[in-house]
Amino acid sequence: MRMRKCDAAIMSMVGFRTIIFRFGKTFVKRKRISGTVVSICAVAWAVHSVEAAPPDFQPVYVGVKVCAECHEGNSLGDQCGIWAQSAHAHAYAALHKPEARQIARLSGVAVEPDQSRICLGCHATAAEAEPWELDPTFSIRDGVQCEKCHGPGSEYADAAIMRDRQKAMERGLRMPGLEGCIYCHAPKESHQRVLGKSGIDIAKGWQSIKHPVPANASLSPLERPAPPMDKTQPALVGSAVCADCHDGSHSGWQFSKWLESKHARAYACLSSTKGQQLAKKRGVEGDPRTAGECLKCHATAYHVRAATIRESYSLFEGVGCEACHGPGSQHVESRRRDPSQQDGSLKKPTHETCLECHQSSPDKPFDFDQMMAKIAHPSQPDPSTKNSEVVYKTPVNIAVSPNCDVAVVACEASNTIALLDLNTMTVRGEIPVGHQPHDVAFTPDGLFAFVSNRLDDSVSVVDLRAKKVVRTIPVGDEPHGLLTDLQGKYLYVCNFLSDDISVVDLKSFKVVKTLSAGRGPWSLSLSPDGKWLVVTNIYSRFVPFRTEARTELTIVDTSTAQVVNRPVAEGANGLRGVTWDPKQRFALFTLARHKNVIPITRLLQGWTVTNGLGIFWADGRIDQVLLDEPGECFPDPHDVVISPDGLRAFVSSSGNNRVAVIDLKKLETVILSYSGEDRKAILPNHLGPATEFVIKQIDVGHCPRGLALDKKRGRLLVANSLDDSIGVIDIQSLDLVGTIDLGGPKIITRERLGERIFHSAKNTFHRQFSCASCHPDGHVEGLTYDIEDDIGVNPVDNRTLRGILDTSPFKWEGINPTLSRQCGTRLAVFFTRIQPFTPEELTALDYYICTIPLAPNRHRPVGAPLTPAQRRGRAIFERIYTNDGRLIPPEKRCVTCHPPPLYTDRRSHDVGTKMKLDRHGVFDTPQLLNIYNSAPYLHNGIAPTLEEIWTVHNPYDTHGVTNDLTKDQLNDLIEYLKTL
Amino acid sequence: MWRAEFLWVMISLLAIGSAWAETASGEKAPNAQLPKLAFGQSVDNVTDDDLPYVYTEWENFTEEDGLPNDHIFAVRCAGEKVWVGTEDGLACYDKKTRKFTVWKEKDGLPWRAVTGIDVDPKTGDVWLALFGGGVARLSGGRFDHFHQLNSGLVNNVVYGIAVEHDNVWCATTAGASRYNTTTKEWTIFTEKNAPMEEIWNYNVFYSPEVNKIFLAVWGSGCLEFDVPTERWKVYLDPDREMEIDLFRDDGIIHVITTAANYVGGALWISTYFGQCRYDGRYWRGFYAHETGIPSDFTNALRARSAQECWMCTDKGLGVVADYATDTYVSYYRNGDDPAGRAEVFRQGRKIKEVPLKTSIAHNFIIAMDFDGDDVWVGTAKGLSHGIGRGYYPGVKRHPEWLDKINAEGKK
Repeated sequence: MRMRKCDAAIMSMVGFRTIIFRFGKTFVKRKRISGTVVSICAVAWAVHSVEAAPPDFQPVYVGVKVCAECHEGNSLGDQCGIWAQSAHAHAYAALHKPEARQIARLSGVAVEPDQSRICLGCHATAAEAEPWELDPTFSIRDGVQCEKCHGPGSEYADAAIMRDRQKAMERGLRMPGLEGCIYCHAPKESHQRVLGKSGIDIAKGWQSIKHPVPANASLSPLERPAPPMDKTQPALVGSAVCADCHDGSHSGWQFSKWLESKHARAYACLSSTKGQQLAKKRGVEGDPRTAGECLKCHATAYHVRAATIRESYSLFEGVGCEACHGPGSQHVESRRRDPSQQDGSLKKPTHETCLECHQSSPDKPFDFDQMMAKIAHPSQPDPSTKNSEVVYKTPVNIAVSPNCDVAVVACEASNTIALLDLNTMTVRGEIPVGHQPHDVAFTPDGLFAFVSNRLDDSVSVVDLRAKKVVRTIPVGDEPHGLLTDLQGKYLYVCNFLSDDISVVDLKSFKVVKTLSAGRGPWSLSLSPDGKWLVVTNIYSRFVPFRTEARTELTIVDTSTAQVVNRPVAEGANGLRGVTWDPKQRFALFTLARHKNVIPITRLLQGWTVTNGLGIFWADGRIDQVLLDEPGECFPDPHDVVISPDGLRAFVSSSGNNRVAVIDLKKLETVILSYSGEDRKAILPNHLGPATEFVIKQIDVGHCPRGLALDKKRGRLLVANSLDDSIGVIDIQSLDLVGTIDLGGPKIITRERLGERIFHSAKNTFHRQFSCASCHPDGHVEGLTYDIEDDIGVNPVDNRTLRGILDTSPFKWEGINPTLSRQCGTRLAVFFTRIQPFTPEELTALDYYICTIPLAPNRHRPVGAPLTPAQRRGRAIFERIYTNDGRLIPPEKRCVTCHPPPLYTDRRSHDVGTKMKLDRHGVFDTPQLLNIYNSAPYLHNGIAPTLEEIWTVHNPYDTHGVTNDLTKDQLNDLIEYLKTL
Repeated sequence: MWRAEFLWVMISLLAIGSAWAETASGEKAPNAQLPKLAFGQSVDNVTDDDLPYVYTEWENFTEEDGLPNDHIFAVRCAGEKVWVGTEDGLACYDKKTRKFTVWKEKDGLPWRAVTGIDVDPKTGDVWLALFGGGVARLSGGRFDHFHQLNSGLVNNVVYGIAVEHDNVWCATTAGASRYNTTTKEWTIFTEKNAPMEEIWNYNVFYSPEVNKIFLAVWGSGCLEFDVPTERWKVYLDPDREMEIDLFRDDGIIHVITTAANYVGGALWISTYFGQCRYDGRYWRGFYAHETGIPSDFTNALRARSAQECWMCTDKGLGVVADYATDTYVSYYRNGDDPAGRAEVFRQGRKIKEVPLKTSIAHNFIIAMDFDGDDVWVGTAKGLSHGIGRGYYPGVKRHPEWLDKINAEGKK
């Protein structure tokens, strides 16, 4: 009788851990189990089985060293020896090379490569597995191991099963062919750009890792001498255990440095031809891996004396940490109890330590100092090797304190806020906050600032006197705008990607309620009397197929902290900046009007992507006017403020590097000159009226975004996001009177140039839009476009740019193999209708797009186990049988076309979604990473929710076999998809 | 067309159930030899002059007053507003302006028949159970529609809805669904993961007092879900589905339950065969023939306390007015006449009949809710508002309402 590992996990919680680990593995032959234990386990299993119908078996990963018990040595073709010599064995180590970080950056990976499921997906085994799926003998640090290709081994690793191939395959053994290699070895542009290689020749690689079982195979494992033991010493734990604390930047990358050293390959080299020859030369009989004299210097366990050897140790580590520092169990245990405790059980290596193996000879002298320098691994990084990466500030928003003494600037790229002294107009200091800070708000007394951290889903509370973060509040997905009420009772935070508003109680600093916003809540403004909050949303509500956008303002009553109204700006989207008129007659907000239901190639006729202002009147009506003029547009209006006298409004255009000044009386006159239907239908689309109320356009720095008024001094502060500066405009003379340098790097890198191009409308006809217009924050704006000349044909949904590089080909038709093709001449023909980018611009733009990070998954943090629903969903995602036991053809399984780690096979398929407007039904397979935040779905955005992909648009199981799923199973599948 | 069929099916089921109950109620009569009083009840210190509060002031609302439809399926009071779900639309009565705001399908209401309503006390969002149309959220004037095709809702035939913290629970004909408004996760509860012998969920109620959800399941009794531990407890009829009550007060009356409320430490459950109360140790069943409650066939109930519970029956509005003294009040309308009567019973004996100039709108009652001292009642022919001027719990000797009635009678 066999137990599943999940049963084992349950049992371990009630104190059966030791017993279960012995019993839960297939190679139970190594350990005896008493009949009583079996009975206890059997009863527990039976009870558990009643509650949840178990599958036949649930394999877990056992790790290469378990495979090596039989597969190391010539009797079975020395398969583990071949593996140890291969790049697969060192795939994990490769993640710690400097190039790996460059590749990760180009892949949109926002964390260290060894923390990224995308990187680990190809550089390690079981990257997607949960902790309970890994036996203690398994270590992810062993790279691409046997089970990566052959499947988790617990159920077939038993020698008795392995003798019968058919039986082993029934227990989960996979014998993959070349086709399985493509998922990791398909050319990846990120790797190509950094390493200069265009992938590998898979057929050739296949030959190099070939490890057939010889015809005369017999099971005779390598017989090694017993390692030397000393009961007075601590136990050997293995370097993988050391890595738990000694890996990563906080420890100076000690483990990584070891991984890159020859010490880490000391055992593997014994199986190499050279190693075998050398051993023979030195008179070693037989396999050097069985020779004590070789093992003594090539394997930790034979080099040091330990009381015992724990399961976490592996011979394959070669000369590990404990070879020089001594057995580590006592150190590990004492540090686990108290991380600050120095137990003194570890040895400090000396010259003599090295000489035990590295004997000096006349022809090869051993230079201790030189060698120590080579493997030096201090716990604190060497300051001389400090990261030389250029880090800009990128100020995106700015807020002025209630007493107008200080302005706080959110610097997105440097993960800091800058404090500006408004008396001296100088930078007073910089405070580190979370990742990608976006907006700033003050407490009513001005003593604390709140900063939304877009990448961390949090708000930093900054004590402005102490100049430090004193608290971090978790909020919703990608927080953007934030503001307190007049009393300072609640903080309201717009969660851009979870479509809601967190209401934070400022006594407990906890989210006390979450209000449903529109889609993509961006910014907010409090009415002068403090009663109303107006929240802008950048995404349209879901609308019927091929109809105009409808985007709401969300109105919150601060007396109840409840949403009371949701007026809709018809035909508009991209609502961003918002501010109230001082007399509270209206609120102004910026907007775009993307004419996505007409072909975008009509851009040449003008009036395709228009930009303007919305006026939300106190009685609930909304008017819209354009800030574009016939010859030149006002692309990407980003923020708006109104002068204290209520006479002028200032609007930033991040796409045109300008601030427009609007005479509000004239604006009102223009609006009132229209009546009835004209005010609803004509005025919002009219390119002419802007000349009547826009009285000046002031040139500022690159990509102006946030605006703030210094009422005390009559100045407007402009966050020039891609200049790392704050522009200062006198609101009386309407002149730019100064610029405050935030101290960013002065060189313009290729990436920075690309970022500027991405946010500039310079390269579109009449400057109608920039790349950022349709890809705010590098993501999507949720609209379906007709980007071809034929009216209404082939409408396609916008796709995210986050983490895009390695998902080629591009476009829904999958016809663009590279980003430069996608953004090059083709863009000019179909989108911008102006001369294409220069080669230099194109290269820079392309590079910048690659670096747009893919945000961490909100539904499954790195290393977190799946929830029960997600776990069931994964089983459905990977299933090969229907509920009634029919075999699902491979091409109809989810995982076939959406394999990890990117969850796309990067090929095109017909999944039966062709509609009458489509020329054909074959579309590129989209990646599924963070799929939960890029609705709507399918090539034409026809499915507003993930459910509808299958409940509505898969009637004949053409998009995977799903029609046999029960509703709860579909829910589980979706919960799992959200974790990808 | 098929929507109409849904309604027809529901009404037919109610009618069939009603007929069944009439037949069965006689058979379920408990052994007359057994004492009628249960633990915690005593009539020793009360006389016929000790009377419960009787609602003598009623006002009724119909389509003529602005309701979208007279067939009222759901009523929910929240502050100054009374939300009303009808067979064809949603209405909100503003107590300040005394006016109805109405939403029909043309106004954005995703489905015409609104069978359940709950209001999120934190966000103010109104959640609607739509009979055949799934679930809707009305928030700031916007309707969000969740149904079995665009969300994880298990079935579109939704009878009841309840807000629990950030979760919304939906009682549907194919199980219960829970939607987390923060994580957007849907969880389904059926026979697979809950002790549901049947999955036809009729009603759902959240008790903040004990942080538990109570599901009334047609054929599966009452299910209690402990929110912190996510553990289930089930209340079934010890007599199973037998049409006779072998031992009275041994558990719920019948497994065909229609509603469950937990207030003040007492669990009240309605069935098609009577109602019952459980105080954690003792059960007490209530039958029409021994309590004076208009009928055993109960569409819903609403408890005000451990002592007072209102029963929505097919023949009138019944009230366990004071459990401790075994005192009941039943409200009736006299046919098409707006007048009616309230009958006060104690231990099955009528001790008072109170004429009402205006009574409830109709005797077929399907929903009710408390509004402070007032009550709002949904009937098959309009909405009724009982004004609780001078309301008191329990019983009182020579109450003011009686003086008023007597004075009016003399006029």
